[in-house]
Amino acid sequence: MSEPKRLHPIAAVVNALRQLKEMIIPFLIFVVFGSRGTDWDLFYFFGSIGVVVLVLVYGVLSWYRFTYRIEQGELRIEYGLIVRKKRYIPFDRIQSVDLSEGILQRLFGLVKVKVETAGSGGMGLQDGEAILTAITKQDAQEIHDYLVSIKKSGQIQQGEEEPETSDDLLYKISVPELLMLATTSGGVGVVISAVLAFVFQFEEFIPYEQIFDGVEHFVQNGVVFISVVVFLGFLLAWMIALFGTMLKYANFTVRKVDNDLVITRGLLEKRQFTIPLNRIQAVRISENLIRQPLGYASAYLESAGGSALDQESSKVLILPIVKKRKIPGLLEPHLTEYHFRVNISPAPRRAYSRYLLKGWLFALPIIIAAIWFLKPWGFVTLLLLPVSAIWSYMNYKDAGWSLDQGMLTFRYRNIVKNTVYMKKNKVQSFSMKESFFQRKKNLATVEAIVKSGHGGAGGKVIDLEKKHVDMIYEWYSHETAE
Amino acid sequence: MTISEPQKRISKQALTVWKIAAGLHSLVVWILAGGLIAITIIFDFPIWIIGAALAVAAVYSYIFIILLPALRWKRWRYEVREQEIELQYGVFIIKRTLIPMIRVQHVDTQQGPLLRKYRLSTVTVSTAATIHEIPALDMEEAENLRISISRLARVADEDV
Repeated sequence: MSEPKRLHPIAAVVNALRQLKEMIIPFLIFVVFGSRGTDWDLFYFFGSIGVVVLVLVYGVLSWYRFTYRIEQGELRIEYGLIVRKKRYIPFDRIQSVDLSEGILQRLFGLVKVKVETAGSGGMGLQDGEAILTAITKQDAQEIHDYLVSIKKSGQIQQGEEEPETSDDLLYKISVPELLMLATTSGGVGVVISAVLAFVFQFEEFIPYEQIFDGVEHFVQNGVVFISVVVFLGFLLAWMIALFGTMLKYANFTVRKVDNDLVITRGLLEKRQFTIPLNRIQAVRISENLIRQPLGYASAYLESAGGSALDQESSKVLILPIVKKRKIPGLLEPHLTEYHFRVNISPAPRRAYSRYLLKGWLFALPIIIAAIWFLKPWGFVTLLLLPVSAIWSYMNYKDAGWSLDQGMLTFRYRNIVKNTVYMKKNKVQSFSMKESFFQRKKNLATVEAIVKSGHGGAGGKVIDLEKKHVDMIYEWYSHETAE
Repeated sequence: MTISEPQKRISKQALTVWKIAAGLHSLVVWILAGGLIAITIIFDFPIWIIGAALAVAAVYSYIFIILLPALRWKRWRYEVREQEIELQYGVFIIKRTLIPMIRVQHVDTQQGPLLRKYRLSTVTVSTAATIHEIPALDMEEAENLRISISRLARVADEDV
């Protein structure tokens, strides 16, 4: 398929719709505030229609200009309405391929293909990726096959003969797991804040004062009523989050096809990620506060692909929720370079006082301010001291590291407990830090950074034994170790 | 067990440049202090405000012009080896960083007007995920460093 091809015409519609969606808020302001029975009504009316028409025409024209073809092992895209742009992506530089089917695409049996490279930052947000908004499934399959054949020929050159394609099921989400995932996800918070933001957005339109005047006597003798309303609100938010998560992660499946991991998920919008195994930068196991006591965890892959806007494709969820002890068994046979049963060395006991102090230093200004300004009730914030102490203890307990077989493991907690597994040759840079006070106690902080999307990710563990930190430092140094 | 420090120091001239830069921004503090003193005199505010303003400005200037640049310069060390670059810097928190050569994507040198006047350059080393800076080297040294790092980095061209 070397002749230039266009996307399916529906791509023009999808693009125009997206453009319109982005314009909807300025547009609403334009219409709502612009015309209020003035002589300019007609102007605004035709202006609005004009804008919509322009967007549609723009959508069609840019669809017409957009062509793609596969030539000499490269995906070549040419586009641009006024400035002609060309983007050539060599197949062996591809970090991941992401297929998704939105509702519009599904109606016509099409898919959206997103191809990602490690592309260096700068030069605009879409740097290092190519999006084919709507192409037929056959064409997508052709691209995929071509990609596979390129990799194959590369392997043959290296003298390895791959007999046939292997296809192993690595993980499939079960119904109880899906329920568990949905109920313990942080999505509730997102929904609540979205609702709140929405409510405050429309503060000017909704006559709160009138409403509240009427409600006032209710409020005064109806604390119960308010509590019930709040409770129902939370319940509703939780249900929405639950439903959203279930739709998104239904049919979550991870398969290993040759040397790629293929992740499919979604009910309404189907998505498929393909990540070449050798592009994996690090593996991260996260346990949030609700899941940890239940013994559940999630596993992510850090991948070098992905744009600044799309965090999802640089931190790829590979196991949404499984019993933590099952993770090594699930991943080790497939991610052969990694091993997850490591002995974590903890931070030394004398580090706890520093963790404690740091927590209190954070809490103290809040407490002082609260006591100062809210005379009787401010003292309640003193409870923050024991809470922060427990929190610090958890942070201290979770800090740890491990080194073995060319792999560095960091464990630490922000709010979520993270364990990051990094291969030495994937770590971009490594630092150790000591403050004046740390030096007195013979402690130090370590930090390792791997590439993730356009930036870095990795891990930082605070207050480890200095001699251990030196050891890790020497292990990482290419001069002393090799 | 301690690991030996990186050997090379940055240019002594850096100290002068940092002092000038710090002098420029403590000028702002002095102007603010002057304004405060003027207001105090005009509106007859308590006299101690003048003293406090002068003291704050003086302490600020001392810390940022004399103390910190000296400490900072004393700490700054770097070393470029066959397979890695090592940096050490920081005043209260000492930070040591290792950047393997195979991870280096590109090296830049840059200089502002102040650095140019003292014939200095800043060297920036970028990996795929991070950016590291050696703040002030003699121009020729910086140039040589840029060339030698990019030569060393080219040897192993490994994928991300």
